Amino acid sequence: MEIKIMKNVLDRNKNKANEVRALLMEKNVIMVNMISSPGAGKTTLLEKTLGHLKNKFKIAVIEGDIATDRDAQRLKNHGVPIVVINTEGGCHLDSHSISKVLPEFDLENLDVIFVENVGNLVCPSHFDLGETFKLAIVSTTEGDDKPIKYPMLFREAKVILLNKIDLIEYTNFNKPSFNKDLNNINGKVPLFEISCTKNTGMEKWFDWISKQISSK
Amino acid sequence: MHELKIAEELIGIIIQVAESENLKKVTKVYIQFGKMIMIVPDVFRFVFESGVKGTIAKNAKLHLEILPVKFACKKCKEETEIDDLIFVCPRCGSNDLELIQGRETIIESIEGEKV
Repeated sequence: MEIKIMKNVLDRNKNKANEVRALLMEKNVIMVNMISSPGAGKTTLLEKTLGHLKNKFKIAVIEGDIATDRDAQRLKNHGVPIVVINTEGGCHLDSHSISKVLPEFDLENLDVIFVENVGNLVCPSHFDLGETFKLAIVSTTEGDDKPIKYPMLFREAKVILLNKIDLIEYTNFNKPSFNKDLNNINGKVPLFEISCTKNTGMEKWFDWISKQISSK
Repeated sequence: MHELKIAEELIGIIIQVAESENLKKVTKVYIQFGKMIMIVPDVFRFVFESGVKGTIAKNAKLHLEILPVKFACKKCKEETEIDDLIFVCPRCGSNDLELIQGRETIIESIEGEKV
């Protein structure tokens, strides 16, 4: 016998993500889901962004890490609340793990939560965390083909940062090709070229993210 | 390896439905994935078959259909199916589009035998 089901396999994750989103909206907090490959510069971007924004906004961080708390250690000098989620081998965060740690924050006194997802361009883009938007970071040393190879993330991201722009001359990164692919996948997305370590292009990024937080 | 997590959720749903319908075994499973989900069918079959071992869905045959990407242009309302993941309206050239198909993870139905 045949039994019709017609159901989203990821309903459990989606429903919990919607609960998280509703809670954050009620508390007027935005959540940024940061996605990139390992080593693209998520933690360095967070260090710089916290340094610049922490006196202006009330910020918290959720660190997704496969096994360690090294990223959280790098951020703790900034004095913002940080919670680590160890996925114990899991290649992405999901909405249930986010929902479990939210009670550790005082949501009444927060403007924004940055979630550093596990370094991976595929899996994190398929699991809604209840975020306000996704931020994609890609670096020149990874090559210019990332948007075309991982279209889901670049299609869904609300903003894209091209990091390590200071190193571009030492790589074979083809910027026209990168821009063309990105334009085909998501022609409307803002792109900022930055170097977190050299502080290049950071002001434009700080302005953009500040506007997002201020207009929540 | 998002295939693993998706397979886990799928198997959970199959077993729950099969039990509530008093099936003694599940013989077929029909699923649809949008192309944007980037499932590798062989990997998915492998994790599915590993996951159903020892359950009433062991030996269930997996029918996996990949749905192409479709979008609707917000300007001219044209609906387009694409192969090449170029998100530009072929009619008016706009990139203001709404994805209407391509990111599904759907279980359509199962087949099985009653107790």
